[in-house]
Amino acid sequence: MDDRFSQQLKKGVLEMLVLRLIAEKPAYGYELLSLLKERSGGLFTLKEGTLYPILYRLEDDKMITAAWSKGEGRISPKKIYSVTDEGRRETLRQHKIWHEFTMTVGDFFKGGLSDGE
Amino acid sequence: MENKTLDKYLKSISRRLNMPKKHKERVLSDLSTSITARLEAGESENDIISDLGTPQKAAKELNEQMKEYTYRKSPWRFVCLAAALLLLIYLITTVSFMIPVHRSIGIIGGADGPTSIIVTSTPRNMLMEISTAVILLAISVLGFMWLRKLKRK
Repeated sequence: MDDRFSQQLKKGVLEMLVLRLIAEKPAYGYELLSLLKERSGGLFTLKEGTLYPILYRLEDDKMITAAWSKGEGRISPKKIYSVTDEGRRETLRQHKIWHEFTMTVGDFFKGGLSDGE
Repeated sequence: MENKTLDKYLKSISRRLNMPKKHKERVLSDLSTSITARLEAGESENDIISDLGTPQKAAKELNEQMKEYTYRKSPWRFVCLAAALLLLIYLITTVSFMIPVHRSIGIIGGADGPTSIIVTSTPRNMLMEISTAVILLAISVLGFMWLRKLKRK
């Protein structure tokens, strides 16, 4: 899905998905890239530079917060993002809106095209 | 970061990031964590560097993608530039006319010439005016160099 339409759709939902993932489980940047890729079957294959602005927008809007993990032995400390209470409320709200949105838009495709679909 | 090569790599990227210190540090802390995670996942230095790209390329992409946090030079800096140029011209003409004139009043250019400039200030007043102009010139130049606005909301 490399065309402009698909790219616009993906852009629209990306921030919602990142917030959702962090709300499910605290994660660091690279982890989010892997999760997005795996859970979307490759649809959302991002680079660090695409993810960071989304993380920082969420952080500046106080939806998520960053903290350094301790690290044990061979595991180094990492900067981990967790959801805030407001972020948790927001992701539930977004889920509701998303559901209504997909229902409404889906309705547009109930009828066939003029020459038959 | 414990790895020297990757530490140098991060520093090269850091130098090329065109954003305020706070945002730069935020990016670097996340990049550093990414690199750490990849090393722990078994990726080699070369894998990581070739995936992220050369420092130039990586920084360029980050600057582009983080446009809302990068410096954007304010158009007001051209007002400062114009002011600086005007002050400079003022200074040059004033000082160059000061040299032949030692008296407090003089007419330069001749009464029959198309232009004549009348110098009516005393040397001491001239010094004040010139000092003021120099200070304003310095401020304008600094304003031109530093005036940049941060994008974002």
